[in-house]
Amino acid sequence: MSWSAETLDRATALISKYPDKRSAIMPLLYLAMKEDGYLTDEGMVRVAELTGVTPAQVQAVATFYVMYKREPQGRYLISVCTSISCFLMGADEVLEAIEQAAGVPAGESDGELAVEHAECIGACGGAPACLVNYELIEGITPEQGVELVAWLRNGNPDMINTDELQTLFGGRTSFDWAIREDNGAIGPYPAFPPLGTAADNGSALEPGRAS
Amino acid sequence: MTRVVTGFMEQHPADSHLYETYVAAGGYDAARMALSKTRDELVEIVKESGLIGRGGALFSTGMKWSFLAPARPAYLVVNGDESEPGTFKDRQLLERDPHQLIEGVIIAAVANEVHEAFIYIRGEYPKPARRVQQAVEDAYRHGLLGKGIMGSGYDLDVTVHLGAGAYICGEETALLNSLEGKRGEPRLKPPYFPAAKGLYMLPTIVNNVETIANLPHIIDKGADWYRSISQSADTGTFLASVSGHVKKPGNYEIVHGITWRELIFDIAGGIRDDNQLKAWIPGGASAPWFVPELHLDDPITKDDCAAAGSMLGSGAVIVMDHTTNVVAAAERLVRFFAEESCGQCTPCREGTTWLDMILQRMLSGAGRSVDLELLHDVSDGISVGLAWPPKQTTICPLGPSAVSAVKSLLEHFREEAEAHVAAARQVPVSIGEGAA
Amino acid sequence: MSERVKITVDGTTHEVDGGELLIKAAEDNGTYIPRFCWHPRMNPVGMCRMCLVEVEGPRGTMLVPACTTPVNDGMVVHTESPVAKKAQEDVLEFLLINHPLDCPVCDKGGECPLQDQTMSHGPGESRFVEEKRHFEKPIPISDLVLLDRERCILCARCTRFSDEISGDPLIEFQERGNNTQVLTFPDEPFASYFSGNTVQICPVGALTATAYRFRARPWDLRAVGSTCMHCTVGESITVQSSQNEILRFLGVDNDATNHGWLSDKCRFGFEYINSAERLETPQIRGESGALVPATWAEALQAVAAGIGGVIERDGGGAVAALGGARGTNEEAYALAKFMRVAIGSNHLDAQMDDGLDPQFLAALAGRGTIDDLERAKTILVWGPDLKEELGTLYLRVRRAAQELGATLIVVHPRATGLDDRASHKFTYKPGTGPDVLRRLVAGVEQYAPARAALNEGPVVAIVGRTGYSEDPRLAEAVAAFVRDLPDASVLPVVRRGNTYGALDMGVAPSLLPGRVRVGSDAFDEWSAPDEMGKDAAGILNGLLEGTVKAVFLVGADPVADVPGGNAADALDAAEFVVSIDTFINESNRHADVVFPALAATEKEGTVTNLEGRVQKVNRVVPGPGQAREDWSILDDVATVLERPIHLASAEAIMKEIAAVAPAYRGITWDLVTWDNPDGVVVPIEGSTPLEYVPVDAGLESREVPLALHTARTMYDDGVLMRHGLSLHTLAPGAAAYMTRADATGLGVAEGSTVSVNDHELPVVFDDTLAPGTLYVPFNQPGSPNVGDHLGVRLKVMG
Ligand SMILES: Cc1cc2nc3c(=O)[nH]c(=O)nc-3n(C[C@H](O)[C@H](O)[C@H](O)COP(=O)(O)O)c2cc1C
Ligand code: SF4
Ligand code: FES
Repeated sequence: MSWSAETLDRATALISKYPDKRSAIMPLLYLAMKEDGYLTDEGMVRVAELTGVTPAQVQAVATFYVMYKREPQGRYLISVCTSISCFLMGADEVLEAIEQAAGVPAGESDGELAVEHAECIGACGGAPACLVNYELIEGITPEQGVELVAWLRNGNPDMINTDELQTLFGGRTSFDWAIREDNGAIGPYPAFPPLGTAADNGSALEPGRAS
Repeated sequence: MTRVVTGFMEQHPADSHLYETYVAAGGYDAARMALSKTRDELVEIVKESGLIGRGGALFSTGMKWSFLAPARPAYLVVNGDESEPGTFKDRQLLERDPHQLIEGVIIAAVANEVHEAFIYIRGEYPKPARRVQQAVEDAYRHGLLGKGIMGSGYDLDVTVHLGAGAYICGEETALLNSLEGKRGEPRLKPPYFPAAKGLYMLPTIVNNVETIANLPHIIDKGADWYRSISQSADTGTFLASVSGHVKKPGNYEIVHGITWRELIFDIAGGIRDDNQLKAWIPGGASAPWFVPELHLDDPITKDDCAAAGSMLGSGAVIVMDHTTNVVAAAERLVRFFAEESCGQCTPCREGTTWLDMILQRMLSGAGRSVDLELLHDVSDGISVGLAWPPKQTTICPLGPSAVSAVKSLLEHFREEAEAHVAAARQVPVSIGEGAA
Repeated sequence: MSERVKITVDGTTHEVDGGELLIKAAEDNGTYIPRFCWHPRMNPVGMCRMCLVEVEGPRGTMLVPACTTPVNDGMVVHTESPVAKKAQEDVLEFLLINHPLDCPVCDKGGECPLQDQTMSHGPGESRFVEEKRHFEKPIPISDLVLLDRERCILCARCTRFSDEISGDPLIEFQERGNNTQVLTFPDEPFASYFSGNTVQICPVGALTATAYRFRARPWDLRAVGSTCMHCTVGESITVQSSQNEILRFLGVDNDATNHGWLSDKCRFGFEYINSAERLETPQIRGESGALVPATWAEALQAVAAGIGGVIERDGGGAVAALGGARGTNEEAYALAKFMRVAIGSNHLDAQMDDGLDPQFLAALAGRGTIDDLERAKTILVWGPDLKEELGTLYLRVRRAAQELGATLIVVHPRATGLDDRASHKFTYKPGTGPDVLRRLVAGVEQYAPARAALNEGPVVAIVGRTGYSEDPRLAEAVAAFVRDLPDASVLPVVRRGNTYGALDMGVAPSLLPGRVRVGSDAFDEWSAPDEMGKDAAGILNGLLEGTVKAVFLVGADPVADVPGGNAADALDAAEFVVSIDTFINESNRHADVVFPALAATEKEGTVTNLEGRVQKVNRVVPGPGQAREDWSILDDVATVLERPIHLASAEAIMKEIAAVAPAYRGITWDLVTWDNPDGVVVPIEGSTPLEYVPVDAGLESREVPLALHTARTMYDDGVLMRHGLSLHTLAPGAAAYMTRADATGLGVAEGSTVSVNDHELPVVFDDTLAPGTLYVPFNQPGSPNVGDHLGVRLKVMG
């Protein structure tokens, strides 16, 4: 399961952005997730080869961060914040509603849809809040949570975009979002053009370090 | 009311994120001014302005800069990991006004003779990260970044680095490890003070997003103007993230020195459904709680919060009304720190989890009369005397931060906690599992 | 050296080195601060928090970890104050809440820091009533090591060792917080040559050695300090035994040699000693032609007849001896004396395979010490792959480059274990070494920066043969170049056991005891022949030509050990072969008489390492059956030959050595046992009569189409390995390594079979080789001896 030439070019470009190639491990792990849908052992071995460390060292890093998923998540990952502010505003009920509707207990996936609880996602002013493939919904209610699940299941959207989600299922926000944008996520990893993980990856790679 | 870091986005709601808008409004002039000044001049201005870090440590930014060791290359790292529960201010600054941040980065870089900067943004912020990335690319395109910026001889590269879900990476030395492609474990201080041995063991300045966002305004309007904004010792404004049981949660750019009453009741609209205010956390989940009887009319300043045994921290205010089950709230806070502990230090790794287990047992109705004392003793093993600021037994303050909620519970709501264990069905718990 | 400062610990004031870590400064002055994660040979991490103490400061006293806090002048420390004590007790309670407390079934029980400190600093019984953390009970993380994550207290000693010290980070922390655990990567075992060290430094029973598991309880063990005889580094060790059986080797920390570390070969290699196949009685060739057990009298008579006959007919010059490097100095001296006095021959050689001039090894002028590496600014390694052949020396070089910042230059025909730490690595095709040296000396092309670094003293050069196909004179030429550098010292290296001791004792065709050249009158004790004898290769050829008729094999297995490959025929041609050994091997199975010898840990004496450091080895167990020390066997043989050599005891022999061998003047067992437990580098009185100055023989490069590189690996088919259970499976195996490009050129695929000098081997791709080089690891299980000729005869099989 080796990487496409395009991905390898991207890897090289990412590595060149840092003074030390080991620093590229985190971005490369996202790249690996995009390649295989989740972080496979092969992916970690790849990253190890590209950054000149052992697979065990890469695994040590990967397992430290909760966003590197080492089990298949499916197409959509719903992360419901259950930290203090969201908790105070009824996050547990939202999580439960979503688990019920999806028929997937937190921390698991049915191959299409994964549900998890998340620690504070920086949306406390719009609590309760959740992420779909890391695209944010603020002020969501249990009912909207149920609708969200149905929308994902029936609509099978190719791209998840936070502004669309917010209009469909959101409520009060932490602050005035004001400006819409149309880029979004294509899998259970953050949509960020330099990583090639977004729907529109734009020019992204350039410019880089003037090394 | 004076707006510093949120002013521009207020005036240009529709397009505050665009390069054109920013430049049309005189953007990057401050950066240009900075390029014509010496390191000493710039450090002096920032010192003069009294700007203190907005990441939580509230340390003088000018001072920090002046400590930067002479060795080069040196690095600038912008801390956009914003993960302290209750905090969502940096997100707004990143998303709504990315060029203000980049201009601040240029100023901080020039002031510290740094030619390479990293903006570390938490992985759960892809939209803010996309906005900043776009702005960085525009800045390169217009010669504001890269080789010989703005026609000067000064080179500056900026890279946006995405985190991957670890609160501890907000701690500056953990962040540097993370940026080096390692586990986000905090380093020992001493000897690893970033200003001396930071990224790749080279001198490094780490500043919070909001701190950096203030710089263009300070350079543009001067230190005296910045000082004049507030009557209190803490100069300028700060972004308070208000959340929880208030009518109008949100980010409010306020001036140091107003009272909690003003913030919670006037600015944030008071308590939802006109309920009673029970308690609030003044400076993010790490901070010991305040209660109305004691603190409602205290002015909001660094020193007043410290004097009252807590901290202003990251400016996150979490409000709880009288319906709140404080034991459940405390458990939720402790659970956060237990889950986010990096695991290096025995007291934090084992102690925070133990605290959470006890609280969960209490909530499940299996609390024992000895549990409150046990909560206290376990806390004492992480943070001696449950003091604030903590006498920590750990490498970084995360462990002791978990103690704040327990301390507040035992200090302000003991009866309620006792009621909790008293009311508990006396479910026998297997003693011996852990008996030595 | 840093200036001295005053610190006050629990009321008493001490003067210590400024900047030293508090935990060490306190310990050196009698205050032991409890600790788990801190290890004196690794960087502090301050993770376990067990060492928290109170230090007085401007803002009242502060709790600080003693393991990360450097002392400064006037520091006032309280290690027993209520706050400090409480903190320590709390840490212990925290560590125990998830500890299984299965001490009764734990190997560490009885020698466990966690157990001990719980006794001394621990709380009473635990207040933890919740569910403990659970992990799958011990999982094998390599062939040698088991991991029990429930016992682990996450001190990161093992992970730091494999990262900082041995440079193979294959075990790492995984997950975080309360789920943090030590683990390997799936299907990537902890295959480190040094894994055993992690078992030794693990402060609990989380890491255990398969070899030792459940074998004994610490309180049943008898421990004796000694020196490892496997390789020429001479590591300090503690040998532990129970009921006269060797159970464990532990590394002992010393500055001179091993810093407490051992390679797994040293640590686990002792198992052969307990082998059931050890020789227990003398054997002689019976009518059937097979070796049969015999009495000592019968065996000695047989030798008297056989050897006596040869001497009578053809003179002592027709008798030779191979070996002597596996025993003590005392035994080597006995062999040298036996050959010179009882036989009257200089045909003896302790060097079986390295081919380096014994004078170069034993008496090199300007020889350095291992500890010079601590101060080296530049290090040149042009010789064997140290990781394979001299493991603990490899660790010392690695430390110098990685932790102390020395510039490391490595020159070798393929990748070596040090490459990742080398500032300059030059890979060359065997045969072209002289050219490489010439260009390095001239500092031309890519050699310029390395050449410049070599002007940055102190320089330490570790010089030896990179492989057996290499002209031995190249190493000497390298040494000659280095000697002319400003502020440089050289360590000439070979690997086998007590080679340096044997050479110092005169077990060489050109040397007499105490570093005296044959013929010189610096040593006039024996009426030995004045002309140089034959070396190992010469002796084997002599046997084939018939100029040598009889041979003594003293702990020698030339069939396996001499790359030339004619040893078997030579021994067949011999008229009479006497062997003194611990096992029957390929060589002595054709002997006429075999005497059972004692092995390391079964005899007392001294050994001399590659620095010329004399260290003590001790007797721990009696040894099997009638096995005896070489010296007493040789003394008996001399007696039956009616040419007695008057050896009474090992200690008496050392007294004789000290009296007659110039370089060993003043050496006594007491001196290297009590006064200098790390041993002493000889000479300690006067100088050595022989100060050998290496010469550059002006070698020319030799170009062959396909050049052979053949060298030792840490694990091989050596007879001692073969009789050790834990290690014998770890040898890489017989194969022909070549670059992808060369293979494609020859049209061979990976895994296909080629014939190398008429021996069939599977092909393995190895792009770290210099182009045009074929590498065959030496002496692998089932591997033929492909010889040591530079040019390879290669046939591609169908
Ligand atoms: C556990 C912990 C978490 C932290 N999280 C953050 C964070 O999310 N963002 C931040 O800017 N600073 C955070 N800090 C503070 C940083 O360590 C550092 O002091 C700050 O980034 C310095 O920037 P400033 O001087 O501009 O505030 C954290 C500190 C600790 C101990
Ligand atoms: S206190 Fe906790 S989070 Fe901080 S370094 Fe120690 S274990 Fe890690
Ligand atoms: S020994 Fe000091 S923290 Fe472990």
